[in-house]
Amino acid sequence: MDVLPTTEYCRYCLMCRHVCPVGHVTRLETLTPHGWGLTIASVKRGLLTWNDETVDVLYSCADCGLCRANCATDQPLPDAIAAARAEVTAQQLAPAIVYEIGEMLKQYENPYVKQTPEKVTGTGAVALFVGDEAAHRWSEGMSAARRLIQATGVIPIEVGIGRNNGYLASSLGFPETGRILAQATLDELRASGARKLLVLSPGDYFAFNQHLIERLGLTWPEEVELVELTTYLYEHFKAGRLTITPLEDTTSYAYVDPAHAARVPTGRAAARAVLKAVLPSPARELFWRGERAHPAGSAALQFTQPQLADRLTFARLDDTVKSGARVAITEDAGTLYQLNRHAARFGVRVQGLYELLAENIQ
Amino acid sequence: MTLLFPFEMIRSELEETVGEHFISVKEADKLVYSTDWSWMPQMWLDRGQRLPTPDYIIHPGSAKEIAEILLIANKYRIPVVPWGGGSGTQGGALPLFGGILVDTKRMDKIIEIDEKSLTVTAQAGINGQQLEWALNEKGLTLPHYAASSNCATLGGYLAPRGTGTISTKYGKAEDMFLCMQIVLPTGEIIRTAHVPKHAAGPDWARLWLGAEGTFGIITEATMQVDYLPEARLLRAVLFDNLSNAIEAGRLMMTRRLEPFVIRLYDPESTRSQVKKVLGYEFDGAYMVIGFDGDPDIAALQEKKALEICASLGARDLGREPGEKWWDHRYDFYYPPKSLHLPWMYGTTETVTTYDRIEKLYWAEKKAVEEGFADWNVKFIGHFSHWFHWGVMVYSRFIIEEPPADAQEALQLHNRVWNAAMTAVLENGGMINEHHGVGLKLGRFMRRQYGDAWPFLLRLKQMIDPNGIMNPGKTGF
Repeated sequence: MDVLPTTEYCRYCLMCRHVCPVGHVTRLETLTPHGWGLTIASVKRGLLTWNDETVDVLYSCADCGLCRANCATDQPLPDAIAAARAEVTAQQLAPAIVYEIGEMLKQYENPYVKQTPEKVTGTGAVALFVGDEAAHRWSEGMSAARRLIQATGVIPIEVGIGRNNGYLASSLGFPETGRILAQATLDELRASGARKLLVLSPGDYFAFNQHLIERLGLTWPEEVELVELTTYLYEHFKAGRLTITPLEDTTSYAYVDPAHAARVPTGRAAARAVLKAVLPSPARELFWRGERAHPAGSAALQFTQPQLADRLTFARLDDTVKSGARVAITEDAGTLYQLNRHAARFGVRVQGLYELLAENIQ
Repeated sequence: MTLLFPFEMIRSELEETVGEHFISVKEADKLVYSTDWSWMPQMWLDRGQRLPTPDYIIHPGSAKEIAEILLIANKYRIPVVPWGGGSGTQGGALPLFGGILVDTKRMDKIIEIDEKSLTVTAQAGINGQQLEWALNEKGLTLPHYAASSNCATLGGYLAPRGTGTISTKYGKAEDMFLCMQIVLPTGEIIRTAHVPKHAAGPDWARLWLGAEGTFGIITEATMQVDYLPEARLLRAVLFDNLSNAIEAGRLMMTRRLEPFVIRLYDPESTRSQVKKVLGYEFDGAYMVIGFDGDPDIAALQEKKALEICASLGARDLGREPGEKWWDHRYDFYYPPKSLHLPWMYGTTETVTTYDRIEKLYWAEKKAVEEGFADWNVKFIGHFSHWFHWGVMVYSRFIIEEPPADAQEALQLHNRVWNAAMTAVLENGGMINEHHGVGLKLGRFMRRQYGDAWPFLLRLKQMIDPNGIMNPGKTGF
């Protein structure tokens, strides 16, 4: 995909500034979609060069997709930024941490542990993509997800256990590594014979539904239906095939839209609906929700700009406190991990959605 | 290298004021802050040319910090350029002479939403859309729906006297203003009276509305808000000719039917812009009309408006073309639907009374189209902000193949503007209705105000004795 015209358009368009999470926490013009577009376009014109300063700007984008989700003409600026990062990594100009994480992804298929993914065995109609964050960042959610799926009478074949879905690699500027990782999961999926792939988060849904095709140039197998687990659970709940006992406590919960929420066309209605089934009163809503849902600092930013990632995490926790809630609940492992690192200082408890549901299966 | 010494001395003082995290001297930041949304600097960078950049980019956290910054600027006689969202189209935020660029976006707190008096008080650096979301959570709205709301700040609404999409009923940003806090160029922090309607002397608070940062920096404002309307009725009509359409708008306004929007596209805009963005192929002048508030009252107002339109030969197109326009009203500003480089374009918008508006429109169109026929210039326009006494015409020129050379392009651009503004001034128009003056129109201020201009110059000298505030803008 030729993403060059995108930076030519975005360099002088300010129409998504209001939703950019990085621009919001830094208040810096440079760290907004317009700033990234103009920086890339200016390098192409010889007005700037890629150096420590400009590369730092390039790696400050959270690649959360909110700019594109709120663009009336669907400009793929995150893809253009990823393409610029690929140029920078190829020229050996990226920060050292980028190459370290790139090497981990190449060798171990995840950025967290020096351990290669488990081999997939067996075949079945339904597969579940585990990924690296659920395996290494918030494994409680994974166990709960298994119990919930089993409660619907299905034992899924687990694929991509501990493997990155390819998005992190492409976001850092290693599209080829991203292709290898995504292809490895596609191969496992094909071998499993599954016709439905369940994913645990909107990030995984985006990775296979859009990123795989648009950024990596791969093809999704037409015969396989991609479904978010929250959607799957809600459908079973609605049909009476899954029964949840409502909680009786009066704790106030707030639903935190996970990273990449705005990149999923169906939004978070199913997640909110299953949450409603288990809570005695509706979950509080954050100010930054739905189409303007800011991420909590997971994904590439936690490695390339850890302080900036933390500021996004603080902002989500602050948003939770302002909503009047004392528990932040969500389903995405990366978001849960980030929130949990700093939750105590905000007096907030972090709760995985799948764990809460699994604990209350009738 | 000799300049490095004073540069570092001043940087240290500024850093002491705001803290090291809130001052930037990075080249990457300087380039991004060297341009706003106006065509001139965008074209300059597009052609690979460098622009003047600020020496220091500061993010103050309070009025007190701004006051201290201004004292430093006065001491060293260096320029200060206020910056909100950078969405101005007139070059009002360009750091022409370097100096200190004060980005107000860190000052983005909502101080109070008064649900009894229906007011909101907020710091001036708050993003317009974020403020709107916060109000919407309480069933309220700040009815300044500027096309730039996604990026502009509250201070940026007021400083250039902005106008939003629904101004025809709710007024310009300045009509929603109750009071504000200002940091004067000399460092004093002052507040205007807490209500705008009184008889306690001259209305001096309005001096800062339209001063575009040349009289100081607005740091906080209280604005009147409204309840979100219960009903919002939209529909479209099509006129055979522009004259009848303008007359229909005049009658709706003078009979006080209170439309929240009358958006009238001239036949050329109807053929080009409306087709490109909304997909309609209409031949004539396409007009969207809207009424809001109580559903029964809005329906009656709409009925009366349609009677006026029908009496002037309009065809009722129904709700869909009106509602679609509303849903996509800002799509006109997203690339590639918007006007974009390497084209040359300018919005030579103006306002005047009903008795003059049509003559003015045709005179400006003639001056641009005939004067620059060699460049295949296009002149389009729509009438979008209506008053009891007159209307604004949002006229634009477009040259799709301008000179490739930056200097030649800028010279041609300025010649087109000269022709357009001369036609405007000779026909009783103002040099603009809501985009402000900035750098682009400063040279027309003397002609605009004639004998009153020296008085304005003396006022500027009194308020900003060292001339540090946003030099080169609004003609100062």
